[in-house]
Formats: sequence, C-alpha cells, structure tokens
Amino acid sequence: MTTVHFFDTPHQIYWGILIALYFYYTGMSAGSFILTSLGTVFGIEKYKRVAKIGVLMAIVLLAFAPIHLLVDLEQPGRFLNLFIHVNGTSAMSWGVYLLVLYPLDLLIYAWFLFRQDLVNGLAQGGFKSKLYNFLLFGKKDMSPAAKANDAKKAKLFGTLGVPLALLVHGYTGFILGNVQARAIWHTPLMPIIFLMSAMVSGTGLFIIVLLLFEKFKYGEVSQDTRSLVADIANLMKWFIVVDGALMIIYFIVLWYSGESGYAAAYFMLHNEAGSFLGVENGLGMLVPLLILLAPKARRNMPVVVLASLLTIIGVLAMRINLVIGGQKLPLTGSHIVEYAVSGRDIFVGLAIAVAGVVVLSFLYAVLPMNRSGSQITASMSTSKEVAH
Amino acid sequence: MGKRYAMVIDLRKCVGCHACQVACKSENNVPLGVNRAWVEELETGKFPNVSRHRLPRLCNHCENPSCLNVCPVKATFQLEDGTVLIDYNRCIGCKYCIAACPYDARFINPERKTAEKCTYCHDRVAAGLQPACVNTCIAGARVFGDLNDPASEVAKLVATQSVSVSKPETNNRPQTYYIGADERALRPNLLEIVGGEK
Repeated sequence: MTTVHFFDTPHQIYWGILIALYFYYTGMSAGSFILTSLGTVFGIEKYKRVAKIGVLMAIVLLAFAPIHLLVDLEQPGRFLNLFIHVNGTSAMSWGVYLLVLYPLDLLIYAWFLFRQDLVNGLAQGGFKSKLYNFLLFGKKDMSPAAKANDAKKAKLFGTLGVPLALLVHGYTGFILGNVQARAIWHTPLMPIIFLMSAMVSGTGLFIIVLLLFEKFKYGEVSQDTRSLVADIANLMKWFIVVDGALMIIYFIVLWYSGESGYAAAYFMLHNEAGSFLGVENGLGMLVPLLILLAPKARRNMPVVVLASLLTIIGVLAMRINLVIGGQKLPLTGSHIVEYAVSGRDIFVGLAIAVAGVVVLSFLYAVLPMNRSGSQITASMSTSKEVAH
Repeated sequence: MGKRYAMVIDLRKCVGCHACQVACKSENNVPLGVNRAWVEELETGKFPNVSRHRLPRLCNHCENPSCLNVCPVKATFQLEDGTVLIDYNRCIGCKYCIAACPYDARFINPERKTAEKCTYCHDRVAAGLQPACVNTCIAGARVFGDLNDPASEVAKLVATQSVSVSKPETNNRPQTYYIGADERALRPNLLEIVGGEK
C-alpha cells in the first residue's frame, strides 16, 4: 500500500561518532588488559613479559575514552551530577562507577608490577629518578618479603581487573541493549558481542603497539616477541571466530524477529551493505580470519600487522554501524534519519587519538619497561645501547 | 485515588491545521527546528481510492517511561499525576533519553542545552488551565483531563470509545490515546522506508 507523508517533522541523530569512539576505546582497553593479564593472573608464563606494556595501554585507552563522552555532553560542567544522582535503572549510571573503579584497579595493579623496576631505576639520576622516587611513595623495600608481596598484590589486583574489564565494557552493551525502541540495539547478545569484538580489537591493537614498542625501544623485534605475537595472533583468530559466530547468530535472529527487526536486518544488508558487509564483516573479520588461519601467516610479522589493522578498522566500523546505524531507522515519520558528522566531532576524535598516542609513548619512554625477571638477555641490552 | 492526567485525540475531528503545533511553540517558547508537539500527515492508496490520515504527536507521558528509566542523573521524573517532567538544572545533556524514547518526543533545546519535551503544559494545568494545544484546537479534537475521575471527559472517552496508542508493545504504557487512528500513521512503515517493500 502506497503511503505518502505530507508533513514529516525532521528528527536528528544525537549520538554520533564520539559515542561510537567511546565504546571503541573502552573495548580496546578491556580487550588488551584481559589479553595481557594472561601472564600475571592466569599464570601463562610467556605473557608475563608483556603485562606492563598491556596495562599501560589499557590505562591510557581508558583514561581518554570518557573524554569523548564529556565533550558530547550538552552540559559538560554538570558531569558531577552523574556521581551525586544515581539511577539504578540506567546502564549509564552503572558505568559511572565502573569507569572509576576499573582504571583505579589498573593503576594499583600497574604500580605493583612496576615497583621493583622503579626502585632499580632510582640510581640513574636525573628526571627519571625523581619521577620514580615520587611514584614509589616511599615504598622502596627490596626484601624478599616485599618482592613476594608485589607478586601477590599484582595477582590480586590483576584478578580483580578481569571482571572489572568485562563489566566496564559489558555495561556499554547494556546501554544499547536496554533500549527497546530500537531493534538493532535491543538484543541480549549486545553486551557479549561488545565483549568479543573488544577482545578482537584489543588484541589487534596490542599486537601493533607491542611491535612498535620493541622496534622503537630496542631497534628490533626479538625472537621471543615474534613467537609471542604468533601466539597472540592464534588467539585473535579464535576471538574472531567467536565474535563472527555471535554476529551471525545476532543477525539471523534479527531477521526472523518482528517487523522492525526484519526491517533493521534488511537495512543492514542493503542500505548499509558497504559498511556492514564490506568493512565490518568482510575486511574487518573475514579477511583477517582467512589470513590468520594459516600458521605461516601468523609467524610473518607484516602479515599479522595487516590482519591486526583490519580487525581494528572492522571493529571501529562495527561500533559506528551499531551506534549510529541503530538510530538511522526512524521511530516516527517516514524517512531514514541521516547522520552527518560535524567537523568539531572529527577534530575532537582526532585530537584525543593523537593525545593518547603521545601520552602512551611518553609513559613507555620514561617508565622502566624492561621485561620483568629472566627475560632480559645480554643481547637485548646490547641492542638497546645500539638503539640509543 | 490520585489524579492521572491523560490526553485523548479524536482523529475523526482533526482537520490537520497544525494549530496545536503553533500554539505549543508559542506557549512554551520552543526554538526553531525542534518541536514538542507536531502533526504527521499522510495519504494512503492511489487515486481515486485514497484516504488521508493525521497523527498529532506529543509526549505520551507513559506509565513506565523509557526516558525516565535510562536517565543517569534522575533529571527526568514523574509526578503523582503521571506527568513526566525534566529538571532542566540537573540534566547533563547526555541524550540517552532521546535515544531511548520510542516516540521521538524528546530533543535538545539548542538554547537551553538540555533535553526537552512536552510537559502537558504543566504550569498551565497547575493554574487550572488546559494545555495550549487543547485550548487552541479548532475542532475540539483534543481532550485533556484526569483519567482517574470517571466523570471527566477523557475517562468517558477512553471507556466508551475504541482507542489506540502508539507502539503498545514497548511496555511504556503511553497515556496519550487516539480515536480513529490509522495503524499506518501510528508507526513508521519501516519496510517501505528501507526499500524492502515494492
């Protein structure tokens, strides 16, 4: 039946690129933290040497993520209201506390990971030793008991960090999933899809950061790291398999749900085919999966980096397709609601990304990043000297 | 039993003049480009077999409002009489309520920089007046009153007429009722909009 609207009141999309980027950042923070906690928390020895790199990355990603939200607020000066007035039925209200607890826990965890190295670094003098001295808060005890305590506390706070990481990203899935008005969002799978795609993108970004770190810090990527990256790439393959399976399940049930659900699935398959099928699921999932299926490819660093890049682009597209795409289907009226990203939002997004890279690079440069324990080999320190 | 304010819009009387929309804008000083109340108008069929339908929209002052449930600072609240209001001094402008309302009833007031929507003209009602849209309706299509008072016109209409609400499946339990609303006007025809219906 033909229907023609004569009067349509225009509505706009209020949650834009900044909200999608916020979900993207918290996801990568949770993903990279959980991956690198495999050593400290789950006792998998070879991951211990990257725990420090991972936790700093997770902290920086999470420190910058909420800035997107703050800038997106119409009344940023009132953000303290979020702490004063709690609404138990609002997923956003849950997140306020998680966004405080999670980075706090990571900071304490990181402190115990770094403490002994900070003490060891005190002797070098200059700015660094002043900084280390400040960061130690006077806790310079290097007795075996104190060292054992470091390991114990790192494990405790690392273990606490895992459920917190799951919650801090899982709750963002509830933010969308709890909205019954929008078929694309309203699914119980949303929190778990967010978590799995976060594992994918967190792992992808971590591989890139780890390789860049080694390249800049030591001038070359060590053999240990290469085999670890091959290992992580294998994990990433499985994360993609699970994430992809969840996406397929989500999409099939959406297709067979009510009228709005079917229309949403149709919309993603046709109107949004380029970004949904092409970028998010084709380039972002299928291609990296095919690459990583081959054991040979997983040991080839440039190929793994390519696959990692594709996954982090794919997950960004997924966040955009869900957050913004979910609002394109109208709730009233007769037109698809169009979204145009504002220049201000692009600027803010880029500025936060650049600031995040700068801060993370600074931390990697000034903090004692030497691999904890037996991993420091003579050849390592030589190549470090050469690089300097 | 306390009051429960509700509105009934008799679409058999509505002529689609948009006076309600204009009165609302004027009464509530609603800036350009955004609306607390508006009228959708559509035509179905092909000449000569056609009909026209109108659907005045406004906040439904739901019994279980999505907007209230998702507000992270409790800036949206509900009075005893069912009216859903916003504390403009508390709202942080996160826009979650706008994303969650199934009826597009909310928007950001570009001047005040907070969420905003129809209040059933709360100040006027408190002063014993009718909401501006009801007051101005040239056909008397809009009726506002206390649903819990059996003698009120809204209660009588809801009791005696075939009424419908927009998207009853959402569990929002909207309290703006329509008489004679066409199903195609109460919700967007999504399949046609996305091009899935030839």
